[in-house]
Amino acid sequence: MVLRLDSVLPRMSDDQLKIYERALKRERSARKQAENILEQKAAELFALTQELTKSNTKLEKLVLEKTSKLKGVFHNIIDAYVVMNLKGDVLEMNQAAKGLFGYDIDIEPINVVGLIYKADLVYAMESYNKLIENGFFTNYRARIFAKDKKVKWVHINASLIYDENNEPIGAQGIVRDVTENQLNATLIAEQQKKLSAIVDYSSLGIVLTQNGQIIQTNRKAQELLQFTESELLRLHVKDISVQEDHSISDDLMNKMNNEELDHFVIKKRYLKKDQSEVWAKTNVAAVRNEDGSVLYQVALIEDITEQLKNEADRQLLVDSLEAQKQKYGNIIANMNLGLLEVNNKDEVLMVNQSFEQMSGYTEEELIGKKAASIFLIEDSKVTLEKENIQRLKGNSNSYEVVAKVKSGEIKHWLISGAPNYDIHGTVVGSIGIHLDITELKSLELQKENLLRRLEKSNDELQEYAHVVSHDLKSPLRSIYALVEWMKEDNEDTFDEGTLQNLALIETTLEKMEQLISDVLSYSSVSSDEAKVASVDVHKLIEEIKKTHYFPAHIALSIKTKLPIINADRVRIQQLFQNLISNAVRYSDKEEGIIEIDAIEKGAYVQFSVKDNGIGIEKKYHQKIFKMFQSLNKRKESTGIGLAIVKKIVESHHGDIWLESTLGEGTTFFFTLRK
Amino acid sequence: MSSKTLQILLIEDDQIEVMKLKRAIAKLGLTHELIEAENGEVALEILNKSEVLPDIIFLDLNMPKINGIEFLRIIRANEVFRYLPTIMLTTSNNPRDVLECYKVGVAGYILKPLKYQDYVNKIEKTLAYWSENELIKI
Repeated sequence: MVLRLDSVLPRMSDDQLKIYERALKRERSARKQAENILEQKAAELFALTQELTKSNTKLEKLVLEKTSKLKGVFHNIIDAYVVMNLKGDVLEMNQAAKGLFGYDIDIEPINVVGLIYKADLVYAMESYNKLIENGFFTNYRARIFAKDKKVKWVHINASLIYDENNEPIGAQGIVRDVTENQLNATLIAEQQKKLSAIVDYSSLGIVLTQNGQIIQTNRKAQELLQFTESELLRLHVKDISVQEDHSISDDLMNKMNNEELDHFVIKKRYLKKDQSEVWAKTNVAAVRNEDGSVLYQVALIEDITEQLKNEADRQLLVDSLEAQKQKYGNIIANMNLGLLEVNNKDEVLMVNQSFEQMSGYTEEELIGKKAASIFLIEDSKVTLEKENIQRLKGNSNSYEVVAKVKSGEIKHWLISGAPNYDIHGTVVGSIGIHLDITELKSLELQKENLLRRLEKSNDELQEYAHVVSHDLKSPLRSIYALVEWMKEDNEDTFDEGTLQNLALIETTLEKMEQLISDVLSYSSVSSDEAKVASVDVHKLIEEIKKTHYFPAHIALSIKTKLPIINADRVRIQQLFQNLISNAVRYSDKEEGIIEIDAIEKGAYVQFSVKDNGIGIEKKYHQKIFKMFQSLNKRKESTGIGLAIVKKIVESHHGDIWLESTLGEGTTFFFTLRK
Repeated sequence: MSSKTLQILLIEDDQIEVMKLKRAIAKLGLTHELIEAENGEVALEILNKSEVLPDIIFLDLNMPKINGIEFLRIIRANEVFRYLPTIMLTTSNNPRDVLECYKVGVAGYILKPLKYQDYVNKIEKTLAYWSENELIKI
């Protein structure tokens, strides 16, 4: 008879054992008595002996079974206790078991197989096999269906029950309801899973240390430092820190240990496995024991290499932006141009130093005020209104205004206005660059006045020339008429000599007439009055050739096709006429030749009038162009012709010069713009 | 060829000029009648007084008191006198004067040449022209 008591069961006390033994003894003696009685009645009961023996054996067996069962009941009074045969039919269950399973074998039969949660069936069978093989199993954890269909987690320790022949005949088990425990365990496991998910998938490296020794790390930390988890567990924080950072870290750690700090953040460099450095922001928190001493340090490590790089880049941008701002700020402050920034309501937002100087107002006096009402005279306000409309359209341009500065002086400002945009491209106002052009303006006015006066005096002079020439010419006509009448009236009485003298008077009058005409014509040549038009010089010369008288011995020829130029036709005609008549006048050869030629020189045409006349000495080459410089006293010459020529050429922005050989001839060259 | 006899109002302050025209007409054997006025003022008086107006007026540009162009303007502004052909007889070839005269409405602009004979020739042609013209008699 073997009874296996579960190791988990509470140990029986010695007293209990004794009680038990005593009970057994009593039972044995009782049996012996019964045997005695049975022997006495052996004869009668012989037939039944065999049967009786059998029954006796059965009884004995039952008693034994009962005994072992009882022992179990005793021991397992609190927990559910179940006895079953090897088929799983429940033979016995205590009150706790009934409560647990919801079944009562006194009411209905139960087979444990039907209670097994499907998913646990394999495990259950394995455990059963184990029971059969070893005679027991412990720590069986699985789910069952209670009668009310609720799933319950149970913990079972079971052992086989053997008969006297040491054959297993059933099993008994202590069943504990661990549903709640199991749920808690599941919850904890889930939470743990979540937590480890958080830890594992955290974008921050997490390192748990104890006195600097690494005791746990997450994936990110491993990835960041390029060590495996097991490698890290062998390392100290210092092993993965750059030497230079040790002292700061130590300092902070000490403060943490002294309870001065619970938490600190440090930017430090970590050493990777390959000894390269990585910048990281480390957030260290202390996990303290009850007594306040540090149990762990939890370090959250954030790789800021990229961030630092971005920061460096941004800083560089900010720096260069600042430098630019500084630069332009300096330019604006120091430039000699007044700068005024206004919003769309024309309210002053900013002025520079130059504007302060120009206007006489300080920036404080101006800010927020309407610029136009402070400075502008009425007319200029109108101008500004028009300009502001342009500004809102996004147009820039320059305009002049008349402004009254603080001292009351009237100033002329040239304003270059441009719209001012915000970062969204909306016009928020305008910026005006101001240049004080008062002086320039007064110079301009002065210049205009001068020009007007010059024009007037030129006009007057020309008028004067005409009046004078008229007044001079009239007496000439009178004298001429009088001389004529004297001749007519005294046709018979005047002798040859007198007539000759009268003829000389007439010649002199003609010369005076020519002189007056020439002076008038010279005074009429001025550049600003030139009526520029397209002039076909070739045609012009051909006309001169036809309409003017040339002595028989003189031949005028045009060497090339003369160009068409832009000039004052009357003047150009006068120019050629004067040169040609000069050539005719000073011709001393039997066959006088006059040649007109032209070559193009860039924007100019160089004309030439060549003769084979008397020639001009070098020393007179400049002089002949001056007024009244006639080299030869001839009756036709007034000494003004070449002066007029020069004046015409110059009024057309050209040059005139000559080449001459005394006795051979002269060539006049002059340039005229095309 | 018969041409009419013109009544000519000559406004001229220079006596020699007056003589020149007179002698020229005489020399040409013309029968035109010459009314003399030594200046614009006198000329206007004559015009205002006379019952019969002259056929044509000769005048010089440069005159004291009222100059030629001013006189021309006065004539042109007068409802009656404006129809009198007025001819400049002058030595000034100032283009501005010429332009201004035609703007105001001159009937002719004759330049006096230096030589007397040239002068006579011009006067002959001018008078011949005007004596051929149909004129308004008021």
